[in-house]
Amino acid sequence: MKTIDFCVNGKNVSVICSPAKTLLDVLREDAGLTGSKECCGKGECGSCTVLLNDVPVCSCLVLAGQVEGERVVTVEGIGTKQAMDPVQQAFVDEGATQCGYCTPGLIVASRAYLTSIGHVPGLDEIKRALGGNLCRCTGYTKILQAVQTAAARQLSSREL
Amino acid sequence: MKNSHFKYVGKRIPRIDGPEKVTGELKYMTDYQFENMVWGKVLRSSFPYARIKHIDTSRAEALAGVLAVLTHKDIPGFNGFGIVVPDQPVLASDVVRCTGDAIALVAAETQEIAEHALSLIHVDYEPLTPITDAEFAMTDRAPFLHESGNIHSHVTIKNGDTEKAFSEADIILENTFYSPRQMHAFIETEGGWGVLEPDGMLTIRCPGQYAYRDRLQIARALALNPARIRVISNPIGGAFGGKDEITVQIYLALLALHTDGRPVKIHLSREESVIAGIKRHPFKVQMKTAARKDGTIIANQVRAVADTGAYASLGGAVIALAIEHCCGPYKIPNVDLEGFCVYTNNGISGAFRGFGVNQVCAAIETHMDMLAEKLNLDPIELRKKNVYQKGDTSSIGHVLKTSVGTLQTLETAEKCELWKNRALHKKDISEPWKKRGIGLATSFHAVGMGIGLPDYGAATLELMQDGTFKVGVGCEDIGGGNGTVYAQIAAELLNCSISSISVVQGDTSETIDSGTVTASRSTYTGGKAIAAAVPNMIRLLTEAAAEIHGVMPENVLMGDDELYALKEDGEKTVTYKDIFHYLYEKHRPTKVEGHFMLPKEQEEFKGSGGAPHHLYGYLTHIVLVEVDTMTGETDVLRVVSIPDAGKVLNPQGLEGQAEGGAVMGIGYTLYEDVLMEAGYHKTTNFTNYILPTIRETPIIETFPVDSAEETGPFGAKGIGEVVMIPIIAAITNAIYDAAGIRIKHLPATPERIFAALKEQEASTPVNLNE
Repeated sequence: MKTIDFCVNGKNVSVICSPAKTLLDVLREDAGLTGSKECCGKGECGSCTVLLNDVPVCSCLVLAGQVEGERVVTVEGIGTKQAMDPVQQAFVDEGATQCGYCTPGLIVASRAYLTSIGHVPGLDEIKRALGGNLCRCTGYTKILQAVQTAAARQLSSREL
Repeated sequence: MKNSHFKYVGKRIPRIDGPEKVTGELKYMTDYQFENMVWGKVLRSSFPYARIKHIDTSRAEALAGVLAVLTHKDIPGFNGFGIVVPDQPVLASDVVRCTGDAIALVAAETQEIAEHALSLIHVDYEPLTPITDAEFAMTDRAPFLHESGNIHSHVTIKNGDTEKAFSEADIILENTFYSPRQMHAFIETEGGWGVLEPDGMLTIRCPGQYAYRDRLQIARALALNPARIRVISNPIGGAFGGKDEITVQIYLALLALHTDGRPVKIHLSREESVIAGIKRHPFKVQMKTAARKDGTIIANQVRAVADTGAYASLGGAVIALAIEHCCGPYKIPNVDLEGFCVYTNNGISGAFRGFGVNQVCAAIETHMDMLAEKLNLDPIELRKKNVYQKGDTSSIGHVLKTSVGTLQTLETAEKCELWKNRALHKKDISEPWKKRGIGLATSFHAVGMGIGLPDYGAATLELMQDGTFKVGVGCEDIGGGNGTVYAQIAAELLNCSISSISVVQGDTSETIDSGTVTASRSTYTGGKAIAAAVPNMIRLLTEAAAEIHGVMPENVLMGDDELYALKEDGEKTVTYKDIFHYLYEKHRPTKVEGHFMLPKEQEEFKGSGGAPHHLYGYLTHIVLVEVDTMTGETDVLRVVSIPDAGKVLNPQGLEGQAEGGAVMGIGYTLYEDVLMEAGYHKTTNFTNYILPTIRETPIIETFPVDSAEETGPFGAKGIGEVVMIPIIAAITNAIYDAAGIRIKHLPATPERIFAALKEQEASTPVNLNE
């Protein structure tokens, strides 16, 4: 057991756990942040996507020891029901969530992608950016629309 | 009625559970955390088929940190489960029939200790030769996997005289089709919590598709009064039929009896889910179809064999539905149809979106395409010539009494851009070695359970303290968005804001039994039950308002979000909050119920296993594909989905189903198959099970036909399953249109397509495809 100090969603946290515990389990079990989901445990599905120093990673492939002193953002840190991020709002408006289990990972990955660009992306660009996030319900079509909608809103709010 | 008459029905209302899903705030069952918890694990069989000689749990029991090790001896009640025939042991005692069979359960302080304990359980097996081929299982040479034999069910439907028709036919097609063992691949694997509460109630939190039936199956195994068990089955991270059967509920319940009241959690890894979870039945379909030169189909003969694996689950119902639907939405006067559901040692098959219709639709719709080509007829014309309409008699001899939209879906298909310009689209290849093609198929799917099964809807409607309403329907929201539709229906009929409606689903303490979330039935059934509850609520509100203001109930009128009483001195407003407090102070109920029985056909076709159904949804798919002749890879580039789901209650939700179903159908047709060898799963997880990603997503357009089914809520039928059915044959027909090869063994992998292209090259250009 080790004490691991890191920053999650802007707050410094300190957890006592095995350094070999996955970041996903630390977030869910020790930090009480259950938005990130485990689906495959192998880095295949993207359901556990979080930002590690602003870069999207599969938190099931990151060990607790690796995040000592680092910055982590989970879906809970992107926005809340009371104050949704434009990406979250667009997912709701466009009907881009169904069962919702893959949604947190997709929100994090979409947020990271939209932060990294300054235009409304084409479908092929979004497909490359979100190629690592599996969804079994939606057929992805409304996810593509939601990312474009969020990008357009983000741009127009910047221009204001 | 015009759409504009409605405030919510027919509108693109965003999902009411959207905000909590996109923020990660929604708690799925395995997201709950409890103090003082313990971990549960399941020991699965090492062999696909073996006799168990002895189970020794002593070393596991002696391990520090282990609270309980349970075997079949610890089951207080009946050691079996299964929706129709409970032939699957909860914990195997003498025989294991698949590698998913559970033998022992462990509860321990940590996951690591629980896993270590599993490794210390010694099971002495006598391995037996597994049966891995359904046709072999049906022969005399195969040993019986169950006392009743290896044929779990045999269904037949006969009509007319097929032999005579075949002798008079101008053209006969005869082919055999094979379909894969598709995995549901819900993103949330099976898991949940069991806890024995201080008051003696047993609470099971576990995603499922019918909390009341799960409760019954738990109660039967535990020999416990169902009233002492609460099952919470909603929300769910995807199901598609894969959580219709018991998953881990009974394990959770058994362990919870042995952990001194400490909550026990089980959450399957993806690897364990692959082995233990049910799959879509692999089918072999032999079909012989006869037609006249003018395109009139005069006979269809079908023999379908479904591999249900080690246990029945819903296999009998799957093969029955397959046979009911295997002639398509056509009126073929002479049919001879039979289906077998057969036990093997290939895992377990069960319910999956489409429920047997996918496999047989692929066959009949391939034959329709072949007939059109050979008779030089337009594929849509050929279908229009043979489809039945309301009032007609279908191939199985069923007079259709409810709405039939096939013809409208075909007329819409004819007019759509992709079909009209198909010659142009075919030419527009991305590389010289790639070929494009366009294919079409149409199909249908029953709504509701069919004859012989209870099929009812029930809803509660409760006036809350803050003047809002809580709608309770037993049917879970497995992702499709029925909860939002329930809120729309309630808000529309109560003339209140949708924000004043909350919906609770899938909880035996909070909702009343409303049947399963299967058979494309929950919008239709739950919607009608709510519609039945609303007049009771309006009566309750009106009478209370009348008492409050001392007027006759007929002088109370409904306004927006409130009532008003007509008095001599003018209109007096009564808010729903006022009414709640009035009723509360008088200790009077604020909750009403609504009940609905699904209409059924009167007589079952003898031997059919439940046919016919009363109500069906219809759909036509058109797809554009591009086949890479160098690699055999196929890309689906465009999909047009044209459903007849009756009145569309929420276009956004309908499109969501159509898009999700199309992509799941693409996966089924091109990539997905759980591979098994000698009864062992070669497919282990998502590393070697290929699912469609966002990169494979084509342009999908949905054009619902304008129709209304008068028995449905606001005219709605169902949509959940038919959305992934015709696309299968539409894709293989498009592959033929592109490259001239007929794929009859799915999935149409690059290897299979490449081999077919090579075979085509090697042979003479004469017809390869019969």
